[in-house]
Amino acid sequence: MGDGIFSKFKEYSVAEFFKKNRQMLGFSGKVRSLTTIVHEYVTNSLDACGEAGIYPEIEVWVGEEGEDRYKVKVRDNGPGIPKTHIGKALGMMLAGTKFNRYAQQRGQQGIGATGCTMYALITTGKPIRVASSHEGKRIECEIGMDFKNNKPVITPISEGDAEAGKSGLEIEGVFGDVRHEKSAYGVYEYLRRTAIANPHAAIAYNSPDGERFVFPKSVDVLPEKPMEVKPHPLGISAHDLIEKARGSQNQRISAFLQEEFTRVSLNKVKELQEMVPEVDLGKKPSDMSWEDAERIVGGFGKVKWIAPATDSVVPIGTAQVEKSLNSIIGPEYIFVTSRSPKIYRGGIPFMVEAALAYNGKGANGEILRFANRAPLLFDAGGCSITQAIKGIDWKRYGVKNLEEEPLSIFVHFASVHVPYTSAGKQSISDEEEVVDEIKNAVMEAARGLYRHLSGKRREKETAGKRAAILRYVGQLSQDMSELGGVGSEGAKVKERLLKMVEERYSAGGAEEEEKEEAPEAEAEKGKGEKGGAKGGKKGEAGDGGKKADEAAEEEKEE
Amino acid sequence: MIFMSDKAAFEKLEMLGKNMLAQVKNDKSPTFETPLRSKSNVQFEEGLGYLRLGAKKEERTFLNVGQARTFMQTVSVANKTKKFVKEGLHTSIRGLYYQLKFSLGEDVDESLFEEQSESNVLVEDLEVALGVKREDLHLTTDRKGVVAGAMVVKDNFAGEETTIDCAKQGRSGWMIPSDVDNGMEFVEVEADYVLVVEKDALWQRLNEDRFWKKENCILVTPKGQASRGTRRLLRKLADHKLPIYVMTDCDAWGWYIYWTIKTGSMNLAYLGRDFSIPESRFLGVTMADIEKYDFLKKLTINAKQVDLKRAEEMLGYPWINRHKEWVEELKKVLKTKKKIEQDALQGERLTFVGEYVREKISKKQWLP
Repeated sequence: MGDGIFSKFKEYSVAEFFKKNRQMLGFSGKVRSLTTIVHEYVTNSLDACGEAGIYPEIEVWVGEEGEDRYKVKVRDNGPGIPKTHIGKALGMMLAGTKFNRYAQQRGQQGIGATGCTMYALITTGKPIRVASSHEGKRIECEIGMDFKNNKPVITPISEGDAEAGKSGLEIEGVFGDVRHEKSAYGVYEYLRRTAIANPHAAIAYNSPDGERFVFPKSVDVLPEKPMEVKPHPLGISAHDLIEKARGSQNQRISAFLQEEFTRVSLNKVKELQEMVPEVDLGKKPSDMSWEDAERIVGGFGKVKWIAPATDSVVPIGTAQVEKSLNSIIGPEYIFVTSRSPKIYRGGIPFMVEAALAYNGKGANGEILRFANRAPLLFDAGGCSITQAIKGIDWKRYGVKNLEEEPLSIFVHFASVHVPYTSAGKQSISDEEEVVDEIKNAVMEAARGLYRHLSGKRREKETAGKRAAILRYVGQLSQDMSELGGVGSEGAKVKERLLKMVEERYSAGGAEEEEKEEAPEAEAEKGKGEKGGAKGGKKGEAGDGGKKADEAAEEEKEE
Repeated sequence: MIFMSDKAAFEKLEMLGKNMLAQVKNDKSPTFETPLRSKSNVQFEEGLGYLRLGAKKEERTFLNVGQARTFMQTVSVANKTKKFVKEGLHTSIRGLYYQLKFSLGEDVDESLFEEQSESNVLVEDLEVALGVKREDLHLTTDRKGVVAGAMVVKDNFAGEETTIDCAKQGRSGWMIPSDVDNGMEFVEVEADYVLVVEKDALWQRLNEDRFWKKENCILVTPKGQASRGTRRLLRKLADHKLPIYVMTDCDAWGWYIYWTIKTGSMNLAYLGRDFSIPESRFLGVTMADIEKYDFLKKLTINAKQVDLKRAEEMLGYPWINRHKEWVEELKKVLKTKKKIEQDALQGERLTFVGEYVREKISKKQWLP
């Protein structure tokens, strides 16, 4: 009896934990929860297609099933999931393939698709229904969870051959405590932004109102697959270090550091030992104490390191961003930056891509934030991207009031390690180098916009001048010809004068005007990027980022 | 009937138009060039003895958006005055303004001229650019100034010829017209000299004494600052080799009336020689007179701050301070802070003014 109660308690504890920590896992608020569910499924689809080298075609349905209760269905053309894995993928906690991998990847909300299964079970009691076509076989089943044992509960529905040449996954679930809303936090906005950051994907959305939105594929280039890279000593926390050490097979910490980190050589380990004499680098990595880890991380900071290679950073690409924004926002003018990767915290490479789309279909002054191709919809206020953009003196770029300007600002942050402010992974923390770089990138795009706007203004001014002068042509021609004693030639003089005015004040005409220079980015000027290893930062102000790249180049040749 | 000077003005206006048309024909923006009339371009040359404009020019071109309207207006004023000349009709600059105040088109919310001040300056531009007087453009100015004396004038006006004997104008005298050049013939000028008195009251006093008859002079009052017509008349009389003597109040303002007659003024420097009489001489009243004539000492009044300021300014003008006599006079004003009106000369007896003038002229007691 007592056992029964205990087991019941244990069984519910996972759910209870989940309920209590919903917020942390992205299931806070009804609107956000719905967006999170769509995000988890769509992200899985994009990743699966990416791994398989397939251009994703994703279709999303959201339908109302009752008060705060919605059915979500997502279908993709990915490789599907083999029968043996389908339960793990959708009904088991911490079974993700990405765990413990150090490579640039989309920010996963909470615990992924399994979290969605759990959410469905908790809020409606209904399992997830899934159909997978994988390597010619099709399986359809329902997946629930045995919370107590963290095991999937699979109820097969059908099994057989897949439609010839077809693969893909279709997941469907009914979720409670969610709400559909047409807002900047809703599913539509999420998918629109996902489409912007993934121009290689075709995404369609069927809303509860019966509307269908299509974001077609706009580029014929698949994203580069992110490289798995070893962390740099300056980019690791004591917590991560100890995690890594626990999983190490090495006999000594010294060997472990050399194997698991980039830029760590035998000489560097010796240097490190001098910095942390109290730590025995000869002992087993699994014996590393919290204190040891903290000391080592402290010691890392004192050693002069070669900056990490920045080729682990995979941008969307200038041309891709431009095509994507043209396709989805359709602006009158677009400017996309093309910048080199930078480094923050002395050891983490990252890259910022920024774009400004002027006079398109986006909301006025909207800020489209992305981290590793995933849209950041929530926590905008606390995000470095928002702060960097708000910190720009837009008036200098011809933008009077950002909120009222038909301007979409796109910022993509790409890095193996995104410094999220919280587990919700919806905003980027205010790392100084990151904020500076975002600001510089957006200002670079803003200079392009400024040139465009001042060009437009000039054109308008020219037209205004033309009109102002044209008004006087009639009277002048008459008076001038009469004054010259040939009053009958008025019409001829008028014709000539009209032609002269038109020529002088045509768009791009002969009228010479001062070229307006876009304002300089004062932050960028002289300040230099804060790249490079920490040691190098002290002595060498200036173009740190460039130096880091050169150092990386040298390293390769060694 | 087109007079000689009319013909010259007409031809100058037409040439202006022809030049502009030639520019247009050559695909050039039509331009109008005029000497700059700002104070920075005002010069005084000792050899000439009057103020005139320097070499600085201002160019106005139609295809410059900032100048297009003014350019058009300039041509309109030129064309309109050309018509006046051709038709032989005169009007004031206000009349000209009303002739040109019309909308530029039904769909245009703009008039050729909105304010008279716009057309006034363009008249000055044309005068100086073409080297003509506004009177030549058939633009009249308000009359001010009266003459009496041995002078006969034939006035060809409105199709009639009238002979005016300035010795037979009774108590009122002949009012100097705005234009003494066009259609105006000086038949006889038999006087020995010209006496200019600032104030009409003094003129009337001397006229009652028949001073001009006794002295065989021409008696003129500009009634304050001399009008264009008065200045032209004095210029013409000086050209007849008559000495010009001027009497004003003894203060900086009165003296400046003399200096405007003599050298022209800064503001109207563009008028140049035609409107200045460098030969003119200043009889009084001077600060030295106050010391000389006992009765005047009691009749002085205190100079006001503006009088002193004006005196200081005049001390700074090179065409004035090159005369040590004037420097002395002006310094006395600043020192004593006194002034005296020319009317004060009647303080002892009404006929003293005549004696004063006679004595000054016979003893050559004038200032340059």
